[in-house]
Amino acid sequence: MSKGVLLFCFDTETSGYHRILRHCVRLIRKNLRLPITVVTDIDTFHKIGDVGHVNYKLTSPEQGNKKNGQPWLNVDRHLAYDLSPYDATMVMDIDYFPFTDNLRQFLDTGYDFLVSRQAHDLMVADQSPRDRFSLIDMVWATILIFKRSPKSKMIFDTVKYVKQNYSYFTQLYRITARNFRNDYAFAIALQQINGFVDYDVLPIKLPTLMPECEILKIDDNGLAWKHDNKVMYTVDQDVHVLNKGVADV
Amino acid sequence: MDIRELKRQSDLSYDTAIAKRNALEKAHSRQVVVYKEHIFKADPNTMCLVETLKKHNDTFFILDTNNNPVEITDPDEFLKVLIARNQESLNAYHQIYKTFHTRG
Repeated sequence: MSKGVLLFCFDTETSGYHRILRHCVRLIRKNLRLPITVVTDIDTFHKIGDVGHVNYKLTSPEQGNKKNGQPWLNVDRHLAYDLSPYDATMVMDIDYFPFTDNLRQFLDTGYDFLVSRQAHDLMVADQSPRDRFSLIDMVWATILIFKRSPKSKMIFDTVKYVKQNYSYFTQLYRITARNFRNDYAFAIALQQINGFVDYDVLPIKLPTLMPECEILKIDDNGLAWKHDNKVMYTVDQDVHVLNKGVADV
Repeated sequence: MDIRELKRQSDLSYDTAIAKRNALEKAHSRQVVVYKEHIFKADPNTMCLVETLKKHNDTFFILDTNNNPVEITDPDEFLKVLIARNQESLNAYHQIYKTFHTRG
C-alpha cells in the first residue's frame, strides 16, 4: 500500500507560500519520511526551487476566496481524493510543521478517514473554551488522513456538494465566517454523511500558534516565537503556525 | 515585596504555566499510539486495564479511542508498546519540567 503526504501550495499577491512550503517539506522528509506530492500552479512551481525529490501536480487554483481582505487560494482541498497518487494519504497544511514523527503512524490504521476536532493554543496558560461561531463543532482540516475507499470518496463528494452550496450551509449552521473555510466544509460533510451523529476522529490536539505570534526562528528541532514582548520556544512538538509572516523566517 | 518584584514573579509563574501546559500536551500527543490498525492512548487507564485483563485471559477485547472494539491477542506485546510510549513521553516531560526549577 502506497503512503504519502499531499500538500497544497499557491502563492498569492501578498503571501509567498512557497517559502513556507520549503520548511514544511524539509521537516516531512526528516521526521515523517514519506513521499511528498505538492499541488501547485505554474507560477508558484517556478518559485519553489530545489527542495529535493517531490512530485508535483500542476493545477489552476479556484479564485475568489478571501481572508482578512486578501486573496486566499484554499478552496481546492476537496480535490485531494482525486489528486492524491497514494493509497493512504495525509493532507497537510503547509504551515503545519511536523517536528515529530507522531502523525506517520496514523497512515497505518484501519480507519478510512480521520481528522482532528481540537487545537492546542501554545500561547495561553489556561485555555478556556472559545466562543462558538456556529451551530456545528469545527474540525481542523489542517491534517486529513484518508484511505482510497468508497467511504472516503463519499466524504469528499459530500465536501464538494457542501462547497457548491456553501452559502446555504453557512446559514443552516449559523456560521458567522463569510469566507469559505475547509474546516467547516469538512465538519458539515462529516456530520451529514454520518447521519448527524458522532464520527471517528484523530485523538490529538493540533498545537497551534495564533496569528498574533511573530515567528523568530525555525530549525530542524523546533521554533521560537514572540508574543506580548515574551519569547518562547518549543522543540520536538508539531506546530501549526497561523502567522503567514513565517514565510520570511 | 514591592510591586515590581510581585509583577516579575507573577510573569515568571505565568510563563512557567504556559511552558508546563505545552510540555504536558506534547506528552499527551506522544502517548497516542497505533496498534493493530487501531488508536490507543498509552495512559495509566489503558495500561492498567491491559495488565488486569491479561491476568484472566490470554486474549480479550478493549475499546480504542473511538470506542471501537479491538481483540488483543498478544497482551504482553501490547503492554510493552504502551509502557514504552508512556515512559518515553513522560521522560521527555520530566526533562522539560526540571528546567522550570532553574527559572527562578
